Amino acid sequence: MKKFDVIIIGGGHNGLVAACVLSKKGKKVLVIEKNEKLGGLANYAETLSYISKEVIDELNIKFEKNVSENFVSALSEDLNHTVLKINDSKNIEFLQTSASNSDQKNFINLINKYNLFARTLRSFMFKRPPRVKSGSKSDIWQLFSMGFKVRRLGKKNMRELLRVIGLNIADDLEDNIESNTLKGLMSNEAVIGTNLGARSPGSILNLLYNQATNNSLFRINKFNTNSFLNIIENICKKNNVEIQTNKTVEKINILNQNVNSVLLNTGEVIEASAIISNTDPKTTYLELVGAANFDTDFIRRTKNYRTKGTVAKVNIEFESEIKIKNLDSSYSSGKFVYAPDIKYIEHAFNDNKYNKLSLNPCLEFYINKNQLSANVYFIPYLTNSSHDKEKILSNVKLILEKFIEENQIISSIIETPNDIENKYNICGGHWSHGDMEIDQLLMMRPFYGSSQYSTPINGLYLCSAGTHPGGGITGINGINAAKQLLKDKVNG
Amino acid sequence: MDNTLSFTKPLLETPFHKRTFEACYNNDWYRWAGYKIAREYSNTELEYTSMRNTAGVLDITPMHKYDIKGKDAIKFVDKLVTRDVTQIKPNQVMYIIWCNEDGNVIDDGTVFCFDKNHLRIFCAERNLNWFSDTAIGFDVEVKDVSDSIAALAFQGPLSCKILHLLNVENIENLKPFFFDNFDLNGSKVTISRTGFSGDLGYEIWCNPEEAINVWDSLFKFNRDYKILPAGMNALEMVRIEAGFIQPNADFMSAEQALRPNRMRTPFELGMGWLVDLNKNYFTGKRILNDLKKKPLTKKLVGLDIQGDKPAIGSVLYDKNRKEIGIVTAGMWSPSLKSNIAFGYVDKDHMKIGSKVFAEIYHPEELEYKKIWAECLVVKKQFFNPQRRHKVPADI
Repeated sequence: MKKFDVIIIGGGHNGLVAACVLSKKGKKVLVIEKNEKLGGLANYAETLSYISKEVIDELNIKFEKNVSENFVSALSEDLNHTVLKINDSKNIEFLQTSASNSDQKNFINLINKYNLFARTLRSFMFKRPPRVKSGSKSDIWQLFSMGFKVRRLGKKNMRELLRVIGLNIADDLEDNIESNTLKGLMSNEAVIGTNLGARSPGSILNLLYNQATNNSLFRINKFNTNSFLNIIENICKKNNVEIQTNKTVEKINILNQNVNSVLLNTGEVIEASAIISNTDPKTTYLELVGAANFDTDFIRRTKNYRTKGTVAKVNIEFESEIKIKNLDSSYSSGKFVYAPDIKYIEHAFNDNKYNKLSLNPCLEFYINKNQLSANVYFIPYLTNSSHDKEKILSNVKLILEKFIEENQIISSIIETPNDIENKYNICGGHWSHGDMEIDQLLMMRPFYGSSQYSTPINGLYLCSAGTHPGGGITGINGINAAKQLLKDKVNG
Repeated sequence: MDNTLSFTKPLLETPFHKRTFEACYNNDWYRWAGYKIAREYSNTELEYTSMRNTAGVLDITPMHKYDIKGKDAIKFVDKLVTRDVTQIKPNQVMYIIWCNEDGNVIDDGTVFCFDKNHLRIFCAERNLNWFSDTAIGFDVEVKDVSDSIAALAFQGPLSCKILHLLNVENIENLKPFFFDNFDLNGSKVTISRTGFSGDLGYEIWCNPEEAINVWDSLFKFNRDYKILPAGMNALEMVRIEAGFIQPNADFMSAEQALRPNRMRTPFELGMGWLVDLNKNYFTGKRILNDLKKKPLTKKLVGLDIQGDKPAIGSVLYDKNRKEIGIVTAGMWSPSLKSNIAFGYVDKDHMKIGSKVFAEIYHPEELEYKKIWAECLVVKKQFFNPQRRHKVPADI
């Protein structure tokens, strides 16, 4: 029987990053991936706007920035589109818009305000979060320093941060801006991938949080996702990490509350002294380890962890090159957003609340010659039924027809949250392996008793987006989980 | 007249209500899980005396009953409770407690094994939520069957004799903590040799339709044996003598306590013997493993108190008048002729034979008499007669 120091379940980017860190320290690592291709959900990502210093230092990698300019176009029914040119988070200019001058100025001011707050959040985003109720000095010190960083914003800004952090994005936008297109554009960033509408409390926090992890409010495309995945895959290969694809882990075997081995769908049993799970917490605890090995309170929290996905991926191939009506083709390298106003988003969200798909969904899409790739929301994850995919597609097509000059559709593929769940073993098919809301963030991610990447089972760790700092392609989850494992090994 | 003052649902009546209502001279009702149960029929001391000398009949229908059915029934109960129940046999009853993840006791109860795919748990508090969440990952169905079973406790030294006179076959050979199906005066009933009195006694479970016949049968020989229906006050007396503790009276159920330091571990309640740390994983095992190695800071003990004034609600002190604990239940025991109580004491006074002091406020004709009474720390089980364990039982 084969034996490894560490088995990593799931070859998503966090799993691969963890494998890099561990193999560099001389550990014998095995990565098991369900699909042929490594990278997991990162394969869906159109953009990679930030790679943190922590990852660059830890993996010792160099990165080329994408030189192309970044545009964000907010589509409007009257074909009076708004186009923003984004150089970096501080440098945003309007190329064309129907919004008034004062609106433009207020919009930029609002972005600057959010930038300031996101910078504060970022200072504790990439560190290991403190534990609750542990009483240890380092945890208390960390909590204290988090408070101190918020205080350092100054009295006025700290008050403003504390005012808006629990607020909904619609309120703050309506206080400052009049243009519906701009409101829709900003709301899109606050609610996409969540179970929040523009008027749901906590949508500003989600916006700030995303901005902190991506270092960009509009998630622009600064780096190539594929080359990032290739680089970490190469490091793994160089460090002799064994990678087995097309295999799934059926069960994590536990012996006296210690991990013992994993059982694969091929019937193989592979022993390891430690296991890092890159699947979401719910799947790890309930499916792989089994509820019988945990306390009832813990299972309660696992069950109540919210993982309902809301975004479907739609890829459409057209016959000829895609042209957007009334828009310069030089902007087509950027992102297009169709979320015309707050009311529209709220209506789309309403259906989601009742587990129905939005008849008038919001869209965020990218085009590449004759290919179009869209994130469609809200398409809820369904537990007992399945989606009428044709209906979703026809809804999307109806919207696209308004903006795309006549063109023939050759083929279209749709992946609903249910499909994503099946393909990647992510409970609920959620982008971030669980809602990014205030009770599921930082030291509470995924939930009490499972924070700091460790679990009640000795030798079992989590490194998925279900841990701090959550979703997005950061790699931080992987690094922190690997470090926690190494630290525990040293302490015995 | 319609009740126009309140929107509350009136209390439910048990299947025995027709009889308990007639017997309840005081019309003094106690609210138990939404049901009306007599607190005192006519005289608590008399009802107590019948339970200790002949037999008393208690309506315990409101007790919560949960059916556990499925392939993993035993596995599920084993994960739930601190004892090893994997060896439970059909017709066996086990006393069980269950804890939360911090090792604090949620409730206690009994589990009845019908067969390896069907168990039933009886307990005082509502636990469906906890059981359902514990059942995740097990092939079992947890169902609340509380309302479909009528129940009587029939407790006292003559209880077996009366059942024998009623031609309940072979009842004397039913061992303690076992149950079986019997025919009682034409009614099909399940009888278990269990109870809350610490004496010889049975609990009788039947269909609600059979309830009145079962009740009447028990009183059939009353010309000679003076069986009395007993209320909750009398039950409180016998359970203290027997050393049985009650959730939300002697300890706060961990599911209901609001203040974290009010919860209690099995070790603090003197129930360490129920915790088996060598069995398969159960909720709380990790913490209980650590707690077992640590010295206790407080413990629930029995107290033998000087004088005859019950120490209800008293504060406990050491000899230097430093506060060390509190009394949770106390009474003058007519059978034992002593003043007994349960109380929490600190780590220096939990040994059997330690001396502590209780400050008793005894009301005497509109004035409090303040008594400083010496107490001896003793075992909680004050009353434990031979006849309780005897097989065959006295007939």
